[in-house]
Amino acid sequence: MAPSGLFHLSITEAANGLRRKEFSPIELAQACLERIESIDDKLHSFITVTANLALEQARKAEQELRAGIDKGPLHGIPIALKDLYATKNIRTTCHSAVLQDWMPDHDAATVTKLREAGTILLGKLGMHEFAFGGPSVDAPFPAVRNPWDTAHIPGGSSSGSGAALAAGLCLGALGSDTGGSIRTPSSHCGVVGMKPTYGRVSRYGVVPLSWSLDHAGPMARSVEDCAILLQAIAGYDPNDPASANVPVPHLRAELKNGIKGLRVGVPRANWFNENKGTDSETESIFNDALKALEGLGAIVFEIDGQPFSLARKANQTILTAEAYAYHEKRFQEAPEKFGSSVRRRMLEGAFLSAADYITALRARTVLNEQIRANFSGVDIFVTPTAPRPPETFETLDPNEQNLRPSFTNPFNLTGLPAISLPCGFSKDNLPVGLQIVAQPFEEGTALRVAYAYERATEWHKRRPKL
Amino acid sequence: MSKEITLAKLQTMADRSGLQLTDEDLEKLLPGVNRSYNQILELRGLITDRTEPAAAFVASRTEKNK
Repeated sequence: MAPSGLFHLSITEAANGLRRKEFSPIELAQACLERIESIDDKLHSFITVTANLALEQARKAEQELRAGIDKGPLHGIPIALKDLYATKNIRTTCHSAVLQDWMPDHDAATVTKLREAGTILLGKLGMHEFAFGGPSVDAPFPAVRNPWDTAHIPGGSSSGSGAALAAGLCLGALGSDTGGSIRTPSSHCGVVGMKPTYGRVSRYGVVPLSWSLDHAGPMARSVEDCAILLQAIAGYDPNDPASANVPVPHLRAELKNGIKGLRVGVPRANWFNENKGTDSETESIFNDALKALEGLGAIVFEIDGQPFSLARKANQTILTAEAYAYHEKRFQEAPEKFGSSVRRRMLEGAFLSAADYITALRARTVLNEQIRANFSGVDIFVTPTAPRPPETFETLDPNEQNLRPSFTNPFNLTGLPAISLPCGFSKDNLPVGLQIVAQPFEEGTALRVAYAYERATEWHKRRPKL
Repeated sequence: MSKEITLAKLQTMADRSGLQLTDEDLEKLLPGVNRSYNQILELRGLITDRTEPAAAFVASRTEKNK
């Protein structure tokens, strides 16, 4: 009989257990499937559960491992995918009535890589419709709920990925991030998520939101698990015009190198207090995280946040214009097929001129230079991931995001790698995330800092009561 | 200087874009459209005549078997 609670294992722990034959890939997959069956009606994190495929893949992994064929740390590990990753002959909906019955004839490049690494696909995860707007309350599938308190939003747009990981429904997941869509749900659900450098992970087969800002990336329950997933999906892909032909280092090997002497930049002035500012409890938790980094040997510097603050404006303009351009024909023919949240946000792009779009791209040039210039004095940037803990569905204000600083947008605009990991909990027991940002293609540095912080704290060990 | 868009102008622009939107849709859109315009005015303050857009065209690149 399999040990109980297999679904809570990290990828690293599960990989070790499989090799020690403490349990089998089938038992591990079954544990996740039973967990989905028993609690996901409260969370709605899955749109499609691929139970038969998962068990078939688990049987294959079991045979292979028994025969001494070891594909690495993801072999036999149950994962799930945000429902905008194309999966051959498996429905891929983008959480929208528009694509409700779409059966792709191809796999996304990342899906192929994960299959080749021996993962077990549990299914496709809920999201904000087309990865934009807010929770999809009028889409054909219910909005995903936060496992820490189902009255609260899980953050988006990779909502299902964050919720499923926090609830122990899968061991790893993929999300996508155009303005914060991996990092925000990671923060709100108390898990780890990384937006890699633009070009590091192929976007081939990921339904676009905004070509020049979209990033595919991993989400998991630990920093090491994130590194394992990123290692598997990173690398050059000629099918993605933005893919970068840059060598991928051994990310796990760098994790334990420590952060003594690392220079940490905090862009607080002219950013953290933008409009309604950062929630005081969140900033206090963030300040404690800074002290922890200092305790590990890092040196903290305050830097000017002004260009980071302006970055959201360029990011939003580019995102909205590109998103509308992609969906224009659908909006002209059947706007009613889109949910109200995504319709309102995306249609703003119809009223931007070509000159407006180019202005934002020119501002992107300037802001990219201004933000990166800080790397002459610091090695990384750190911020809270979100300006406040997750709101309730009832009190959610669609304009709220423009009234507080966006800590995630600037790193889509600049393409810099950024990771979010848990750094505390609000008085209402809702997770708060710490964002760590590194130089281009220096994911290893961000992961190393995150790993050092994670080892020094206990936040990642908490689980929601479900 | 902000350039405020009115509901009537938004309707004209929607028609020109081939969009059939209800009055309710347009009313919901209006604040966001005006916010977008004001953001662009702010972004214009950042750029000079020498600033090129962050967009790349590579003459040798072709689209591969999509």
